[in-house]
Amino acid sequence: MKWLASLAIAALAACGEAPADSRKLAVPGREGALKSSAAVRATRRLFDGAPPVIPHPPLGAACTQCHNALGMDVPELGFAPPSPHEDTPGMSALSRCNQCHVHAFDEGEFVASTFVGLAQDLRRGERLYDGAPPVMPHGTAMRENCTACHDGPAAREELRCSHPERVRCEQCHVAQREDSSFVRL
Amino acid sequence: MAPLDRRTLFKALGIGAGCVAFSELDRTEAATLEAAAGAPGLPVESWDKAPCRFCGTGCGVEVGTRDGKVVAVRGDEQSPVNKGLLCVKGYHLPAILYGADRLQHPQLRQPDGTLKRISWDDALDLIASKYREALDQRGPDSVAVYGSGQWTVFDGYAALKWVKGGMRSNHLDPNARLCMASAVTGFMAQFQSDEPMGCYEDLELADDVVLWGANMAEMHPVLFSRILESKRRRPTVRLIDIGTRRTPSSDYADLYVEFRPGSDLALANGILHLLVKQGKLAQSFIDKNCVFKRGEEDLAKIGYGCSGEQAERYTFNDTPRDSSLDEFKAFLEDYTPQRVSEISGVPVQQIELLASIYGDNKRKTLSLWCMGVNQHVRGTWMNNLITDLHLVTGKICRPGDNPFSLTGQPSACGTVREVGTLANRLPADMVVTNPEHRAKAEKLWKLPAGTIPDKPGHHAVDMFRAFQRGELACLWIQTTNPWVSLPNLHRFERKPGDGRFLIVSDVYPTPTTDQADLILPSAMWVEREGVFGNSERRTQQWNKLVEPPGEAREDAWQIVEVARRMGMGHLFPWEGDWHEAMFEEYRSFTLGIGKDLASYAQLKTTRGLLWPVVDGKETRYRYAGGHDPYVAKGRDVHFYKAKGYGERAAIWLRPYHPPAEEPDAEYPLWLCTGRVLEHWHTGSMTRRVRQLHQAVPRAYVELNRADALELGVKSGDLVRLRSRRGALELEARVDGRGKPPRGSVFVPFFDESRLVNELTLDAMDSISKEPDYKKCAVRLERVEQRS
Repeated sequence: MKWLASLAIAALAACGEAPADSRKLAVPGREGALKSSAAVRATRRLFDGAPPVIPHPPLGAACTQCHNALGMDVPELGFAPPSPHEDTPGMSALSRCNQCHVHAFDEGEFVASTFVGLAQDLRRGERLYDGAPPVMPHGTAMRENCTACHDGPAAREELRCSHPERVRCEQCHVAQREDSSFVRL
Repeated sequence: MAPLDRRTLFKALGIGAGCVAFSELDRTEAATLEAAAGAPGLPVESWDKAPCRFCGTGCGVEVGTRDGKVVAVRGDEQSPVNKGLLCVKGYHLPAILYGADRLQHPQLRQPDGTLKRISWDDALDLIASKYREALDQRGPDSVAVYGSGQWTVFDGYAALKWVKGGMRSNHLDPNARLCMASAVTGFMAQFQSDEPMGCYEDLELADDVVLWGANMAEMHPVLFSRILESKRRRPTVRLIDIGTRRTPSSDYADLYVEFRPGSDLALANGILHLLVKQGKLAQSFIDKNCVFKRGEEDLAKIGYGCSGEQAERYTFNDTPRDSSLDEFKAFLEDYTPQRVSEISGVPVQQIELLASIYGDNKRKTLSLWCMGVNQHVRGTWMNNLITDLHLVTGKICRPGDNPFSLTGQPSACGTVREVGTLANRLPADMVVTNPEHRAKAEKLWKLPAGTIPDKPGHHAVDMFRAFQRGELACLWIQTTNPWVSLPNLHRFERKPGDGRFLIVSDVYPTPTTDQADLILPSAMWVEREGVFGNSERRTQQWNKLVEPPGEAREDAWQIVEVARRMGMGHLFPWEGDWHEAMFEEYRSFTLGIGKDLASYAQLKTTRGLLWPVVDGKETRYRYAGGHDPYVAKGRDVHFYKAKGYGERAAIWLRPYHPPAEEPDAEYPLWLCTGRVLEHWHTGSMTRRVRQLHQAVPRAYVELNRADALELGVKSGDLVRLRSRRGALELEARVDGRGKPPRGSVFVPFFDESRLVNELTLDAMDSISKEPDYKKCAVRLERVEQRS
């Protein structure tokens, strides 16, 4: 975890955002300290799989101060979800959060768009039989830290895991690739 | 995500009306919201590979399609470039196809200024007749095509063959002249072959990564991630940022070196001076592999291309002559650390530190540079000096030890530099001024000897100056937006009824289509088949995945159809789908000379390959024994392309020259322009993505806190920036993401409503003719206080 701390420090030094920004936000966020839900999640992405926009104004601190491995309860703001990238191999550079996540200020549109993105796939992971562990209904690239979405106060209720103490999730829950059908040659 | 009406959503959330928390919503409202969020999504029908549409990094993406539309992308984990990661622009790629104002039909400007929809047949006949008329009445000097580093290889090759082989004109130049021409002339001057010897693997193998005028954290984010990851894994890795403004990249640097604009020339010579004095030259490497060269150094003869006669036509040609190691040492005598420090403002200690980095042969050094070096009135010289640092120390052509030029457009390398869509070039390193090169092109194109003219055409800025003078009757612009991106824009304002015919092919309305007499709708990215070549010599192919909107067609098709209507169908003899046939014809230029491209069939099945590709195998390190099959047996390094230098690389003696314009009492501030992470180039694509637009909705001016205090300006204040060429009102930012030093300001150029290029100076590099967008003088005036 030592490197993590150093990254947090680097990110703190690097954040450099203007601390006071009075612009309105375009997505529900800070004002409501929203409870997680699929609907709220949908409002924060261009399509399912796109990095979410930042639903709070720049706070003048490093993102990883609150969005760390465990997440953090932030007074008046609600619970900052943990980063799903904590365990992403080779992705420490994600301490540069603004490379992928932008603030969503209510600036309207430059030009309207007709884009309709991929909607969330709310189907649950299949089970071979009742009682079998469900397979992962999604890929794991960039979200290796399962607990970010499946445990803790920020996790959506329907996604919450009943046994977070069993740390090695992939021991029982496996990701599915689209091209995984077995054909004997 | 289903389209969610924001008003409905906000109403449901109570935002703006008392900020009711979602948790307090009643069930009905929650259900409304749930419904608005869309039904459970159907999976995509197909994920297919493509390179990203934006920068020169060339990240691999997988494009998700359903019902004939792009609905998602994801980082391609199989791509060796980005290994699954993208940046915010890449993740938002799908929406660039679906702006509501996509151009869908050819439109002809009417005498009253309005646009009228016409058919493709009428549009193509009209273009053919206009070009034919110009050629018949005024000759090949009256026609031109202005292309792009975003052109696919097909578009560039079709344009090159049509303009140079069909119309017998060399007036073909791309917007890449504005972004990396200095790197081309730099590499050509030193290796007689363009493009870097190394590849992105150098990012992980280097011990010291030195950025010269490159804000990679914003402009090449995924490559910057690779550097940061390397630093994390090996804490001994150091990042050195040499620049004129603190950027998000500087924040991660172990050493930030700030120099006065333009004085990087002195700084690089100061490092060379110390390497000589400290006995750090790799003598046996130099003896075996290098020659010394020197060019014209008289400022009065060279100029800057922006004043006197040069302000109309800038045609300076360098006059190289042989030099020697002794002359090199004598030349560097002047660049003592003390003198360099006086010129550059860099402390002596930092100059010594930089010399110790380049001079340490136990640590591998990677130099990376981009627009700060290329958009420079002595950009070619600066390219030469950075590469000199590697040549004199022998830190070149070894994994992790290389000079590496970054590019800003997805196919600046693949199309502009390799196909050769520049006014003086032909495919695969060939130039129009060389009779053997012209003969080779004429033979491969089955054209009579003497078809291709030997005089280089107009470079980009001169092309628009010639258009303004009325010398060009016909100009066709594809895939670029010069009425936002050219320097000193006021020069190029068109007058109605000027008798010239301007055609613009693009995907959205822009200030450039506003100038056009005929607008053509282009198919973009995965709406057509294509090939791009990225910064590391990787050629990447993709298939057409969705239909373009309306009647939009790919640029290459537009050119081929016009050529056919002009009686030049013999240039494009293929029937049906000509993509593979055209690529294989182009590929024949590259084979057997160390520029070998992979076959189209191989490109279709891979995540791109680094040329030269020989026997189906790519080359990660050019000129390097054990890597490059063209290197002579037993040689560690072999600059086999530099036939004119005895197969050696040239170390150039290049002096310091001051910038074309410097701050004075009347205009006391430096103006630097550039991009931001969220927007790409002139913003015509990224501004149509709500998330990106909202993140940075308009251009602003960044200024230093001390200057702001002195001027009485606060963040958010409206200020007026004025240069000798124009004025612009902008919102002030103090201590934003970038921090310009005292006496300088920065403005991004993406905003078509706030054109910073109305202020910039059209001074150019003497050899590459690339404009210097990084240095001119402005003053800042307060307009009104923030309310």
